Amino acid sequence: MKYLNLSIKEINKLLKDKKIKPIDLVNEAIENIEKHKEYNAYITLNKEEAIKKAKELEDKEVDNLFFGIPIAIKDNIITKNLRTTCASHMLDNFIPPYNATVIEKIKEKNMIIIGKTNMDEFAMGSSSRTSYFGPPKNPWNKNKISGGTSGGSATTIASRDLPIALGSDTGGSIRQPSAYTGIVGLKPTYGRVSRYGLVAYASSFDQIGPMTRNVYENALLLETIVGHDEKDLTSSKRETEDFTRLIGKDIKNMKIAIPKFFVSDIVDKEIIEKINQTIEILKKNGAIVDYVDMKYIENTVTLYQIIAMGEASSNLARYDGIRYGFSYENPKDINDLYLKTRKEGFGEEVKQRIMVGSYILSGENAKIYYNKALSIRDDIKKEFSRIFENYDWIIGPTTTTTAYNLDDPMDDPSKAFMDDVLVIPANLAGLPGINIPIGFDKSNMPIGMHIIGNSFEEAKIYQLASLIEKELKLDLNPWKGEENE
Amino acid sequence: MDKLSREEILHVADLARIELTEEEIEKYRVHIKKLLDDIEKIKDVKGYDDEQLIAPWSENCILREDRVGNMLEPKEVIEHAPRHSGNYIQVPVVIGESEGA
Amino acid sequence: MSNYIPTIGVEVHVELKTKTKIFSPSTNGYGEMANSLTNEIDLGYPGTLPRLNEEVINLGIKAATILNCKIRKVMHFDRKNYFYPDISKNYQITQNRTPIGYDGYVEIEIDGEKKKVEIEEIHIEEDTCKSAHRGEKTLLDFNRAGVPLIEIVTKPCMTSSKEAKLYLEKLRELLTYGDISDCKIEEGSMRAEPNVSLRKNESDPFGTKVEIKNIGSISNVVAGIEKEIERQTKLYDKGEKIVPQTRRYDDKIGDTVLMRVKETGNDYRYFPEPDIPFVVLTDEQIEEVQKTIPMLPDERRKKYLELGVSETNTKKLIQNRNLSDFFNTIIDEKTNHQIASNLLLGDISAYLNKNEKTIDETTLNKERILELIKLMEGNKLSSKNLKEILDSILETNSKIEEIIKEKGIQNITDDNKIIEIVKKIINENEESVTDYKNGHDRAIKYLMGQVMKETKGTINPKIAMEILKEELDK
Repeated sequence: MKYLNLSIKEINKLLKDKKIKPIDLVNEAIENIEKHKEYNAYITLNKEEAIKKAKELEDKEVDNLFFGIPIAIKDNIITKNLRTTCASHMLDNFIPPYNATVIEKIKEKNMIIIGKTNMDEFAMGSSSRTSYFGPPKNPWNKNKISGGTSGGSATTIASRDLPIALGSDTGGSIRQPSAYTGIVGLKPTYGRVSRYGLVAYASSFDQIGPMTRNVYENALLLETIVGHDEKDLTSSKRETEDFTRLIGKDIKNMKIAIPKFFVSDIVDKEIIEKINQTIEILKKNGAIVDYVDMKYIENTVTLYQIIAMGEASSNLARYDGIRYGFSYENPKDINDLYLKTRKEGFGEEVKQRIMVGSYILSGENAKIYYNKALSIRDDIKKEFSRIFENYDWIIGPTTTTTAYNLDDPMDDPSKAFMDDVLVIPANLAGLPGINIPIGFDKSNMPIGMHIIGNSFEEAKIYQLASLIEKELKLDLNPWKGEENE
Repeated sequence: MDKLSREEILHVADLARIELTEEEIEKYRVHIKKLLDDIEKIKDVKGYDDEQLIAPWSENCILREDRVGNMLEPKEVIEHAPRHSGNYIQVPVVIGESEGA
Repeated sequence: MSNYIPTIGVEVHVELKTKTKIFSPSTNGYGEMANSLTNEIDLGYPGTLPRLNEEVINLGIKAATILNCKIRKVMHFDRKNYFYPDISKNYQITQNRTPIGYDGYVEIEIDGEKKKVEIEEIHIEEDTCKSAHRGEKTLLDFNRAGVPLIEIVTKPCMTSSKEAKLYLEKLRELLTYGDISDCKIEEGSMRAEPNVSLRKNESDPFGTKVEIKNIGSISNVVAGIEKEIERQTKLYDKGEKIVPQTRRYDDKIGDTVLMRVKETGNDYRYFPEPDIPFVVLTDEQIEEVQKTIPMLPDERRKKYLELGVSETNTKKLIQNRNLSDFFNTIIDEKTNHQIASNLLLGDISAYLNKNEKTIDETTLNKERILELIKLMEGNKLSSKNLKEILDSILETNSKIEEIIKEKGIQNITDDNKIIEIVKKIINENEESVTDYKNGHDRAIKYLMGQVMKETKGTINPKIAMEILKEELDK
């Protein structure tokens, strides 16, 4: 019996009725992961601890929906006593003495951490190919990327190894791999989820979010990780809410905006077609859909490059081989320690972004690039606010293409940014956004739709996403008949 | 092909405290040039107002009460450090004086 | 050597008196075991975030108020990026664009004239860790990492080392009185860095600025500035240029030494700190904090002199914050404040020093000191007798009158008894009496001494003197 293919509600009932034990779920998850080992979704498996935890839970009352449910955690979220590498040689021996706030929350609910998932090094990239541990592979086609940077979490959810995972999204890193692998991934409103213990790439963009097989469970998982955290000054005072409350409500006369840029010729035709088909469904359900112009929307990648790389150059300065992590063995002097530790500890993409970021903030450049980017960023946010005065959602494709080949060249440094051109705007404005699968291309690779909501309107995003999910009834199991044991 | 000069690459590498191999220098001369061309596009953007968005904060800062909380054991601090001596974290001899406070 | 006009500015860092660090709940402490007062935030571990301490903002408001600065109502922090092992994140969180206080001044008195030393700005930032160089290696102790600091920057408005010294002394007095910092230079909780330039005439633009760092005392600030003026004067006289640079004062050789020549300005790559949202202060908040500012030295000085306390006592009281605070509890009372100050600075101070106590560790309070003053003023207790019972006064809660009774101390207050003794002394010292009658003033002092000796100091000298005069003039 495969329990993990059941819904979380069903699993919960079995646990409550004592028909199964948490250890059954852990064993099944581990078995799945080992079977899919070549997909390289994990950097570190937490096997022994997970089994121990499952046994401990046997004597406890099943007090919440997530009790005993195995969960996968992106490896840039700090887990106490469990190696946290950020997919970098720099931290490949780092065992943190503290927990991220989301991990505390997950532990409170007695979820079981199965392992730490693969990703782009320090969340810099778009295909998880910058990982020190090699890239994860797409369960729909193992020659293709899973996307990035939360490629490992996307892979393990799409593989049906387990039902829930956490990712992080700085410039699309939850939504884009979710689109490439056919799962549901949400980036919450900036400030919704505590960033304490999320290893910083670009602090003013980073958010942790849920990655799941369906919309309902995504909303449930979000509910468990949100809330004000005094350890993160940027976390909102808003307490948790029932994010499923609007699911099933009709969308009659509700208004949807599609920025023309999102469906311009930068997007593959096949994807546009699927988007158009979905739009028809929405119209059929009574929604009003308009194409709108948005100022500065075509500049968002540039702004993101400037601000994110600038912040990154500072955030990653702390990796110097002195207090923790990798350290070059025989430095001549302090400067040699810095130079060689960072030379050997960081991969190519990370070094490149740190160098460009240092340049951006250097001397007069701070004014020319960084400060100007902050000014335009403010205008982008205002532009979104203007749209949301009249519309309930902004939609578009999540990606411009479907997942490409793992061995596609990596010689264009701009590509890693351009892959996220459609999802970056939400990060600039701090808005919530979700990927919802809407079909497949000719080669059977998933296509996703992106829904952006107004600040703190995640519940409304789930309302629309769930309607699309219900209408399309896609089979999103990549193994289909293949693995019917 | 459009490239940065060797000196330009060495300058940003120095700012970032990253040593580069000859091979890397050549690669970054091209790659970083491409990214610098990307960010150059901001110069064409016009019409925005001066107000800045540092981060999409939803609220103002909530200050922490001045009360002692958890600290790490010196043993934990030391064990994480690649080099240590007694209770101290150790670094190879420091040249020059602090730039900061 | 020619004469040039020096222009001096001073940057002062002081550590704030808080329980915890600026961005973490670790203890803000001094002299503890290395790396015992740290957590993952202070050490810049991955994923950690700053948590701004409320008290730091409050002390910033206090400092800005005391130094007559304008207070910024909306501020943010900035990152100053540089690689150095003493700063755990390799950037320091500071206030570059929006310092909490600006445009203030400190008033000093130089050669009898008042002068305002202008404060450019006060900003809040984090302290670095302590490093000790040991041969081939450097040892780091992060206990100090993240201790809150304020940096106070003057305009280049001073023209002598004396002004700088007076400014620093005044600043230290103000910040200590405001309970903002301990200002212990030897422990590093106050650090001063003067900068010096010279120019020929008042109308000339400022000369090239040289900064002096690592100064361990105010007297070394003075020496450092003087040496620097001397050095620059010599260079200018030789027609040489001054290179912008940072020097340090070396106590052993008594001179400044070159630390580094400044390149074209340091590239700190400042940018606004995204991890700390705007700190917004309301008028009410500011007023609340301002209410907690205790009476400052200048006001105390004025008040004490008005109350008839001598200049010497006033100065001494203000130098001792605890005694001055205690004294303040009776400033609105009708009593003899000069006697009060004599008591506090005399016998009571001696007792406190001997027993290594502070005044709050004794049983003395407002009521008891008022009673004591009254007894002394009414001649019920002589200073000699006070010495005998001082321990009991300061260590028990008994009424002083009762202590006096218990100890069997009785002042001779009976005039007839005094007359009797005076007469006896007059009879025994005929020579002195003759001297007195011949107009030798010293004689009466001698006779008075004899009277006091005879009574072992148990009589009121004022009364005794009156009676002695009466008897001699008979």
